[in-house]
Amino acid sequence: MKLNRITALASVLALTAGAASAESTVRFWYHFDNADNPMNDLVAAFEEQNPDITVEAENIPWNSYYDQLYTAVIGGNAPDAAMVKMFAQPRLVEMGALQPIDDWLVEWDGADGLQDNLLELTAGPDGSQYYLPVQYVVLYLYYRPSMFEELGLEVPTTCDEFREVANALTRDTDGDGQTDTYGFGFRGAQGGHDHWASFTLGAEGVSLTDGLTSEAGVAGTQFVADLFQEDGVFPPSAPNDGFQEIIGAFKAGKTAMTIHHIGSANGMVEALGEDVNAAPVPECNGGRWTAFGDESTAVMANAEDPEAAWKWISFLSSEGNNTMFNEATGQLPVVKADSDGWSLHPQRFVQATVDSLPFAEMLPSSNATADFVNTVWPTQMQRVLTGDIEAAEMNEAIAEIFAE
Amino acid sequence: MTDATATDVSRHDRQGRRATLSRHVLPYAMLSPAVLVTLAIVFFPMVQTAWMSLHDYVLFRPNDFDWVGLENFRTALSDEVFWISLRNTIIWMGTTIPAQLLLGLVTALLLNQEFPWRPVARALIIIPWALPSVVIALMWVWIYDSNYGVANEFLLRMGLIQQSIPWLADPDYALASIILTLTWQGFPFFAVMILAGLQAIPRSYYEAASIDGASAWRQFWHITLPGIAGVMMTAVLLRLIWVANSFDVIFVMTGGGPGYATHTLPLYAFIKARTNLDFGYGSAIAVLFTMLLMVVVVFYLRRTGKAVS
Repeated sequence: MKLNRITALASVLALTAGAASAESTVRFWYHFDNADNPMNDLVAAFEEQNPDITVEAENIPWNSYYDQLYTAVIGGNAPDAAMVKMFAQPRLVEMGALQPIDDWLVEWDGADGLQDNLLELTAGPDGSQYYLPVQYVVLYLYYRPSMFEELGLEVPTTCDEFREVANALTRDTDGDGQTDTYGFGFRGAQGGHDHWASFTLGAEGVSLTDGLTSEAGVAGTQFVADLFQEDGVFPPSAPNDGFQEIIGAFKAGKTAMTIHHIGSANGMVEALGEDVNAAPVPECNGGRWTAFGDESTAVMANAEDPEAAWKWISFLSSEGNNTMFNEATGQLPVVKADSDGWSLHPQRFVQATVDSLPFAEMLPSSNATADFVNTVWPTQMQRVLTGDIEAAEMNEAIAEIFAE
Repeated sequence: MTDATATDVSRHDRQGRRATLSRHVLPYAMLSPAVLVTLAIVFFPMVQTAWMSLHDYVLFRPNDFDWVGLENFRTALSDEVFWISLRNTIIWMGTTIPAQLLLGLVTALLLNQEFPWRPVARALIIIPWALPSVVIALMWVWIYDSNYGVANEFLLRMGLIQQSIPWLADPDYALASIILTLTWQGFPFFAVMILAGLQAIPRSYYEAASIDGASAWRQFWHITLPGIAGVMMTAVLLRLIWVANSFDVIFVMTGGGPGYATHTLPLYAFIKARTNLDFGYGSAIAVLFTMLLMVVVVFYLRRTGKAVS
């Protein structure tokens, strides 16, 4: 009798345990600028295919995304999976926050369908693979063709031409003594390092980890400072301008050029129609540099059900789903099959992206990169723009954090 | 003494002892939950912050928690940004609070007068205080915008400036612009507090002073001001602590920039700890600022104690 009772209890416990493991929840963090994102549709499609897994997807504001992620990791409350960028990888690996995905990748059919070289580009600092690419972009120059045509200007291909054109485009169009159009919308706040880098890191032998304090490296920063202080081709608010400000000013006709990626293309076409075009960033000091904007997903080390978390992130990088994902972000799919039939952006922006790929680079895989992006670059650039420090001092401060 | 009387006395004694005991114990029993919660959510983090400030603790190396003694404090005292932030903090607090007090005092005096729709005016004046800081910050960012902001538009139309001024992007104006925003946000608190103080002054004082021929200024100086001095001092002390600890408006409006132009000590501690994940150094800055603030508070309490007595 007693044995029966124990057996019955054990059966109930086993059933309960079975039910618990069958009902997994994946907490997923992501950041979308687009308010009407289709994450709910993706979640619904995934849950239909995997009825035993529930996905709780949470959109975290971009400005505090990594602050919140790091804090959640330390606090033991990290999500099961998250959207992540390359610059954060060394730090997350050092924190032991990521789960290697090598074993899953070997068995996953979708790995061969990813764009060539993307997995190599996103490999972890210790050789393991932690990141699964989900979208990518390359930064290029946006310009207003009507403004160029009106003044008979050509799209600049070098920094000298850029300066000349930017000066010509900076003008008082209604004769009231106020500047109505500025040549270039420079992003002086956080995230603007890509603008500065295009003018600075193209020079031979200059990178964030080497040669930044050389004459050529300092000349790049000085070029940016001169554009603002001497030429006045950036709006006066440039030191504090972030993404919203530079895109808003470009759409409003306040600036004639700016640098961003294809993620802004559809919004710009909506505002300006055919009067917006794109070209690779100019060649500066003998070379070109533009940013390869990556975005991946990762399974976090503390995931309650890592298998379920992997199923979810691999779903997002699978054919068809990856298109849906990139419809929301306005970026480019990492799945070859989805890229082939890509028609969500006007061809001219896709072409500018493809033309910029040969010289696109990622930020160094270093622990210092996060500080460079979040605090050191914006603060030092603002100090240079407002005349508080010299260009050389800024480059020294950046070189110092990468040397540590 | 009969047995019945003896029993009554001993019962009374027991009741009396019980009452005395409950008078001694009950207040502690009632207070203990609040004290325990305060200890857990205020004092424990304070001690933890002080402890972290003595260590090299960078959040992305959670396993390294090395004792460095006062090294973080030494670094702070030789850190250029610490001194810039301290200078900005002194300017920020030294101008914001007096400006709020002055504006609040004038507003309270006006609202204490008889005029039509006075209750509506009293309700409206509280709006800046009632709005969330982030809303206020975003609203003023647009007011100050150099391309579309109403501040530039207004000044240009009035002919007071010839070119739009990038209020928040120019280090010469950024801190002053934020001080103006904070003054606007905080003056209703002073207005409401001082108004309450004004209403507590008996009208008979003013009547007596009028009969004696006292001018409006002398009535203000000898009746109104002493009557609201206690309220004003309490309000200033509270505001001092609140303003010192708040950085939300600055964080949203400029993030401390351009450069370090609007860095204040609480903001610098926050950036170091939360953005750079350097909790050891961030805690040291926070501890230093707390100590500086304690000096001000103790000094102020002594002064106010004397003034009130």
